[in-house]
Amino acid sequence: MTRPSPCRLHEIHTLEFLKRAQNPDGGWGYGLQRRSMTEPTSAVLLAMAELLERPAVAAGRAWLQRAQHRDGGWGLDPEDPDSSWPTAWAVLTLARWDPAALEVVRGVRWLLQAPVLRLQTDELMAEVYRSLRIDPSLRGWPWRPGEASWVEPTALTLLALHAASATAEQGERIAEAIRYLSDRRCQGGGWNFGNPFMLGAYLPPRPHPTAWALLALHILAPPAIRPEDIEALRVEMHRDGGAMALALGIMALEAIGVEDREARERLTAMQRPDGSWEESPYTTALAWMALHGGWPWRRRD
Amino acid sequence: MAAPRLTRRALLRLLLLAGIGGGLAIAERRTRPAGLRTFLGWILRGWRRRVEPPAVVALGASLSYDEKLLRDALAELWSQAGMPDVAGKRILIKPNLIEWIEGRPLVTAPEVVGAVIDLLRARGASEIVVGEGPGFRRDAGPVVAQSGLEAVIARRNIPFIDLNYDDPQPVPPRDGWFPGRSHLWLPRHVIEADLIVSVAKLKTHHWAGVTLSLKNLFGVIPGICYGWPKNMLHVNGITPSILGLKQALPPVVSVVDGIVGMEGDGPLFGTPVPHGMLAVGRDPLAVDITCARLMGFEPEEIEHLSWGIWAGIGQGVHIEIRGASIQALRRRYQRPPR
Repeated sequence: MTRPSPCRLHEIHTLEFLKRAQNPDGGWGYGLQRRSMTEPTSAVLLAMAELLERPAVAAGRAWLQRAQHRDGGWGLDPEDPDSSWPTAWAVLTLARWDPAALEVVRGVRWLLQAPVLRLQTDELMAEVYRSLRIDPSLRGWPWRPGEASWVEPTALTLLALHAASATAEQGERIAEAIRYLSDRRCQGGGWNFGNPFMLGAYLPPRPHPTAWALLALHILAPPAIRPEDIEALRVEMHRDGGAMALALGIMALEAIGVEDREARERLTAMQRPDGSWEESPYTTALAWMALHGGWPWRRRD
Repeated sequence: MAAPRLTRRALLRLLLLAGIGGGLAIAERRTRPAGLRTFLGWILRGWRRRVEPPAVVALGASLSYDEKLLRDALAELWSQAGMPDVAGKRILIKPNLIEWIEGRPLVTAPEVVGAVIDLLRARGASEIVVGEGPGFRRDAGPVVAQSGLEAVIARRNIPFIDLNYDDPQPVPPRDGWFPGRSHLWLPRHVIEADLIVSVAKLKTHHWAGVTLSLKNLFGVIPGICYGWPKNMLHVNGITPSILGLKQALPPVVSVVDGIVGMEGDGPLFGTPVPHGMLAVGRDPLAVDITCARLMGFEPEEIEHLSWGIWAGIGQGVHIEIRGASIQALRRRYQRPPR
């Protein structure tokens, strides 16, 4: 009998962890024995659907389908009555099977119709510009409908629209969201949650929004990426040092053709004996994607 | 038959009724979105505080982050402030871990959190967890590690809960501070706590003026529900959100770390102020008013404190100081940019 290779052993442990972490309802939570939620369930399926056993995948997919609201969106979980940002995650994942599936189309429609806060008066716009030096007329996507746009939900939604092949007919809306991302860039490159400047001080970039923004721009507007964005991500992901930041950072860098061996080594070393990263199905899914093939959606040239 | 005559008395009655009705309609309009009934409730509660006994705030002076000194000082201040019995209770310690920027005193010193854990354990708390949901970080882990808190709680075998992901549940927003919202999502460990100890940092804040034990409660709002930063709180208004959160949570008591405070461009980019003080009290409003005074602010300058006094969120009128005196500890912190 041959022994499994170290790489295969890591895979076995990770799969065992995710099997243990799957709830009887088919979904995954942010930790072991935690309530099933849309984001971790989507992330696990996106990362591991080809490796998990078929019944586990079918149960996870059915959970996601059941969690969809009548308005076409998804909330945190089926108990959350309001659709919000996790809709992008669910669309990203379900589109892997069929971008034209009804649940994907309904999810896309919800994303496109979700209202975004827009300032009404010139006076208010001028005040926002004075305090934050941003162009408040630009729309990205909010965390919750009706609120202001932020970098991470904007990038996630752009990625979801791309996954669902829904970008072609939404050119103007997507171009505006890309202008939004460019406008929210930090002074030395990279992104934070969406405030590059506040009351006289430039705010620093952070790894998570920078990685998401780079993934979205790489797929939809590569010329908008600047070398300083890439450098900001490299610096910030190592400074943060958490598994989530390293995993997202590796995926974004790899997508734009930059290899960071040190980040890979650091992330690999963070895998726990139970096969997980931080005992979190969500972080484990991100780390697995980062170390095994990268972000699953590629640019369509 | 002759038409009934409108007598002078009847006319006056009609005018009086119209005046009352009109006044009520105007008052109802002016008090939206909270509504007249809620508004009157706040005013009455605020007045009632004037005849209620004082809140006690205990102040420690000339302190450092030396572990033993801090433990002894905290135990004494806890007793002086008449803090609640914690035996058999589930306690959530909520430090300020908003972010980590090297060289900036922007988080609660881990030594203070360690001293609070030791005190609660010595007094028989049945379950202690430390929790925070950073507003600028998707992952709290690196902030916990880089601030030194990870080592402090690991040594004491206390878990850290990232409140941004802590299986949030809907709770009713009590007291009318979140108009139009049928529920607020709050983390499981927050809802299940018998007592929350808000272990805040003494800092200036560019939007709120100061951030102390009340503003520190923003960190319990789960990011997975409301995003990063916690934008819903700004949409609702910072002041109503601070006061509304205090009302929606289980009982909150305060410990404020002012051993090194922050002045100027807080809550992130201010500069350190060696102040050597610690404040402890069971009424967060009274503690924060006292701390604001120690920073050189009058409560009227800080909207959430003046509204809190007006609406009787706590005892803001009569405050009894024990331990060090306000005069000895008062400084004038540089104001945040506006």
